[in-house]
Amino acid sequence: MIKLKIDNKDVKVPVGTSVLKAAESVGTVIPAMCFMEGFTNNPSCMVCLVKDKNSGELFPSCAMKVAEGMEILSEDVEVKEARKEALELLLSDHVGDCEAPCRIGCPAYMDIPQMNRLIAAGKFKEALIKVKEEIALPLILGYICQAPCEKVCKRAPIDQAVSICQLKKFVAAIDAKANNSYFPAKAESSGKKIAIVGAGPAGLACAFYLTKEGHDCVIFDRNTNAGGSLRNIPETELTNQALIEEIDVILKYGVKFKLNQNVSQDYFEKKIKKEFDAVVLAVGDKKGLSETDLEKDIVLDNLQVDKNTFETDLKGVFACGSFIRKQDMAVKAVAQGKAAARSVNKFLSNEEPEKIHRMFNSKFGKLKPEEFDEYLKEATKDERFTPQNGNLDGYTPEEAINEAKRCMHCDCRKLDNCMLRIYADEYQADRRKYLTGERKSIKKYNNHDSIVYEPEKCIKCGLCIEITVNEKELTGFAFVGRGFNVRVDVPFTRSIDEALTKTAVKCADACPTGAISLKENL
Amino acid sequence: MNEEIINIVDKIIAEKGKNPDAVIPVLQEIQNAFNYLPEDALKRLCDNTEITPSQVYGISTFYTQFRHKPVGQHIIKVCVGTACHVKGAMQVFDAFTRELNLKEGEDTDAEGRFTLDKIACLGCCTIAPVVQIDDVTYGHVNTEKVTEILEDFLQGSNKHRHRRNLRISKSKIQGEIRIGLGSCCIASGSSEVKEELENTLNSQNIHVDIKHVGCVGICNQVPLMEIHKPGETPSFYAKIKPEEVKGIITNHFKSASPVDRLINSFYNFFENIVLENTPITLRRYEADKRDTPVSEFLKGQINIATEYRGEIKPSDLEEYKRLGGFLALQKCLSKLSAEQTIKTIIQAGLRGRGGAGFPTGIKWEIVYKTKSVRKFVICNGDEGDPGAFMDRMLLESYPYRIIEGVIIAAYAVGASEGLFYIRAEYPLAVARIKEAIRVCREENILGENILNSGFSFHLKVFEGAGAFVCGEETALIASVEGKRGMPSIRPPYPAIRGLWGKPTLINNTETFSLIPWIIRNGADAFNKTGSEDSKGTKVFALAGKINRGGLIEVPMGISIRTIVEEIGGGIPNGKKFKAVQIGGPSGGCIPASMADTPIDFESLKEAGAMMGSGGLVVLDETDCMIDIARYFLSFTQDQSCGKCTFCRIGTRKMLERLNKITSGNGTEKDLVQLEQLAQSTKKGSLCGLGKTAPNPVLSTLFHFREEYEEHIKGHCPTGKCTDMIVYDITKDCNGCTKCAQRCPTEAIVARPYEIHTIDTEKCIKCDICRQVCPVDAVRTVSSRQ
Repeated sequence: MIKLKIDNKDVKVPVGTSVLKAAESVGTVIPAMCFMEGFTNNPSCMVCLVKDKNSGELFPSCAMKVAEGMEILSEDVEVKEARKEALELLLSDHVGDCEAPCRIGCPAYMDIPQMNRLIAAGKFKEALIKVKEEIALPLILGYICQAPCEKVCKRAPIDQAVSICQLKKFVAAIDAKANNSYFPAKAESSGKKIAIVGAGPAGLACAFYLTKEGHDCVIFDRNTNAGGSLRNIPETELTNQALIEEIDVILKYGVKFKLNQNVSQDYFEKKIKKEFDAVVLAVGDKKGLSETDLEKDIVLDNLQVDKNTFETDLKGVFACGSFIRKQDMAVKAVAQGKAAARSVNKFLSNEEPEKIHRMFNSKFGKLKPEEFDEYLKEATKDERFTPQNGNLDGYTPEEAINEAKRCMHCDCRKLDNCMLRIYADEYQADRRKYLTGERKSIKKYNNHDSIVYEPEKCIKCGLCIEITVNEKELTGFAFVGRGFNVRVDVPFTRSIDEALTKTAVKCADACPTGAISLKENL
Repeated sequence: MNEEIINIVDKIIAEKGKNPDAVIPVLQEIQNAFNYLPEDALKRLCDNTEITPSQVYGISTFYTQFRHKPVGQHIIKVCVGTACHVKGAMQVFDAFTRELNLKEGEDTDAEGRFTLDKIACLGCCTIAPVVQIDDVTYGHVNTEKVTEILEDFLQGSNKHRHRRNLRISKSKIQGEIRIGLGSCCIASGSSEVKEELENTLNSQNIHVDIKHVGCVGICNQVPLMEIHKPGETPSFYAKIKPEEVKGIITNHFKSASPVDRLINSFYNFFENIVLENTPITLRRYEADKRDTPVSEFLKGQINIATEYRGEIKPSDLEEYKRLGGFLALQKCLSKLSAEQTIKTIIQAGLRGRGGAGFPTGIKWEIVYKTKSVRKFVICNGDEGDPGAFMDRMLLESYPYRIIEGVIIAAYAVGASEGLFYIRAEYPLAVARIKEAIRVCREENILGENILNSGFSFHLKVFEGAGAFVCGEETALIASVEGKRGMPSIRPPYPAIRGLWGKPTLINNTETFSLIPWIIRNGADAFNKTGSEDSKGTKVFALAGKINRGGLIEVPMGISIRTIVEEIGGGIPNGKKFKAVQIGGPSGGCIPASMADTPIDFESLKEAGAMMGSGGLVVLDETDCMIDIARYFLSFTQDQSCGKCTFCRIGTRKMLERLNKITSGNGTEKDLVQLEQLAQSTKKGSLCGLGKTAPNPVLSTLFHFREEYEEHIKGHCPTGKCTDMIVYDITKDCNGCTKCAQRCPTEAIVARPYEIHTIDTEKCIKCDICRQVCPVDAVRTVSSRQ
């Protein structure tokens, strides 16, 4: 047995153990990407660097064997900086998106590519479920959303963006008309009551997500009908029927409405504050408020609102939507309603509301013209479909499926298990830091039944090569070239399905990034 | 698949073997046969051997020697080593590109006659810039000479085909003529001189011994011919041209006059020869003149690795033996135990000459103590540093001495097998070592039961295929095992687990070359030379902006100043000494202000450089330090194996910043990031290449930071960074129109007897105008002004 110290903890492990494994044995997890148990351990990623206290030198812990009397530092500032630097260098050479640009462009962060793929597969209900994870009013937004997602769609420069908004409207319309509309499962009743002032898009969305969390929500509005500013939109853009249908869904989900109720100062103090555990002010644009309204008073009182958590300086009172700042996009109001709901929920669970943490996202910007065909490998080449029945009525199911198939799968198939993403997030790596020089051009190896290979996401660890060699693939993978231009490729310009006849799935599983991924992951 | 390919490949396989470790020699043979690697040949190879497509692809795209596309009839290799770089190799390369009409991404001309290539270093640094076309080498090339060179080559290659085989009668010997036939000498035309000499002797019926000696060291005076005649003071001729040979010979020898056979007198002929700093076409020097630059050149030198320099014929075993060759081996085999041999080396204080300076004896001891039936010794002759040619010269000139050193080492550590790893760019070294090994086998100096001692040792040559990283011992081993030359983590050190997992002693060529002398003369004779921690001598390749470049062997601890000013004779053309670059891509630049730094392992490290393997390139005031840093970075990033993140991407990102800075677009932020990347690459890389790659940047940042600052302000003080300068013609112009005639882009319009002007929009900064101007009226000025 070898005795050593890791971060001043005494460790005893058998001869031949790697420092990485020795650290694990005392609960110290060292990040590692290129390391895999049972494989030739030729370190490459250098994310597992640790420091030898005596020499001050850094070395990869996955390959260094323990030695008697070693003193290892794994949490040292220098070590962490070096790991971060390694990640930043890898990111500077990583041409690929984590989340697709459309999702990042969506104020509500809707998982658009997933919705598209579900629609393309004819799974309309599942698509709607995906949508409702992030958007409470997809039908309404389907009519009026300015669709920032479509502006950043990578398909746009090729021909035209995918008609995302229409697709969303299509699934939402089916659901709203159906007898068995989709209602997300509610959490166990919390017994908490929440007053939401204002039945506009922010208020409706907020109520929807708070209801989902098991709270009782009452929406107060001085108008006869719910909808707020949505009521001012001409019939040519948003049909009254759609508006009614979708509000009806919210109602059926369990949200209570108290309409024709002007919330005055007095009413707020005596009624709402007493009867409710939390209040969300979603009363819309300040300019529209009358002098006598309570909200105006609060405004006059210069109510401070935290932009990240939507808390006000009044305890238990939150605010969102155009009330805090004029929103020119309904989708932003809907997104804020959802975010405010999250904060309220935290508040009611006695937790500190915080800004939503968005996972690290790699982005590479616009496609180069020579990459169009690579990306089109994952889509149909059809031009954008215009609904036969007009934009207002939207797609037929066939049209929707065809349109959804135009989506190019810009999002990564390894969103949840790409080690590069996970560590970049953990180490708060700055992906732009070393982003200089011309980026490499993207290729997609798509003609394999079970996997897709995207070389520009590869970190050159060589695990897949070793797998193909070990399993005696006749062609397999090889390192091609060296230095900065080294890449993993198929020898003899053979195709990838010829190269990986039995090891494809293993390679995808071993690949630490999204370079090799399974097709079946939608 | 074509029959011819099948037959050739099958023959090669039969010869070289089917195992995966045969892959590099097999590919080398296939390329020899076809001039490139046809895909069908590779497929045939995979179908009929244990070699897999993955391996073939991995290997053939890793080593730069291999080509996947057919090449032109002739291959032009422009050396872009350090010495060539500082003398304008890139401009030469660009000139060839223009001359051959090559478009972006092309390397072969439309007629398929020439393929243009860059080569890291041909090891002919003293005659930089150097260009090699097939086996013909041209030295002192500049952009202006490119057309001439191509014409000369095409004429010459016709001539070569009609070369006669000449035989010289050995009967009535009238004297001895010595000609250096090291690569530098050959590159300078010594083989043409030799040929002409043989012609003359034959036609005049003069019988003289022609002796081909190894590298003579004074590379800037070659071809050098030395005439020994009984009863006459030896005469030396420097920088001879073939057409001058006849005159020289008839001066000394009469046709067929009977003269007694010359008795060899082995005095140090360098002691008395006279050379001058400024070479003129033909120079004759009498051996009895004193106080000359050459005696200065040799004064500070001690010949241990280069013992009998200029006297000994490389491939003559008998002569080597007469001069004490293999006495050391006999001493070990008959009188010294392995332990005693190792003890001698430890006592001598010898440290590895490959760069890092690990104590040689200790390394031997580790291998010796590691128990294994099978052990290996490897002589590392993969001298890839641009600007270094010590190993080449030693291998070419003293093959037996190095073999002797290797056998002694094998005896000491208990190895039964060994190999020379020599880069394929050194064909002469490979040939000489192979020949010497063959002779040694015949003489039972190698093989079973060597000299009846009971000790057996087998030695062979492995030709490296063009990867600087293979100088790193773990990468070298990977390469021998038929893998891509990717280093692995140490420990385990090769001394414990090396080639095929067995204990392996890897020493540098120069280290081995010192062994026989140490054994013969004793540890104390060796360690009395040198400094406190660095004993003995070190061989340096002295090149760059220096009057007397060449190969020098100096005692450790000698100051940079002594080398540059005394041995090297200072800087040519009245320019100011600015810095020396020591240690190549792993080393750094030491400024003139620190010229008193002694050259030993520790002092150099302290000064931010590194001994490296011994390249010493002198820089003058016209050299831009950022350009030098960028030059080395572009080399290392190109040579990185691509395995670990810091080396693969870090060096590239450093280079991008240096490119930005030298193009005039750099910012303070680039400097900060450059320094940060240099630090993290140094710390985070796996092997020596990556860990030392930032040194040229760090040392120039440390010693020449103000020059970086100037660049960031948009000004290159030396005018080397072409993006930051423009060409300009001064009032000195005499209107001769030469520049206009030679300008490749019509940036200068010919106006006889008027002062010419340069259209900076059209100018491509090829430098031809400056070179051809007879009155030095062309200059470069900062583009800011």
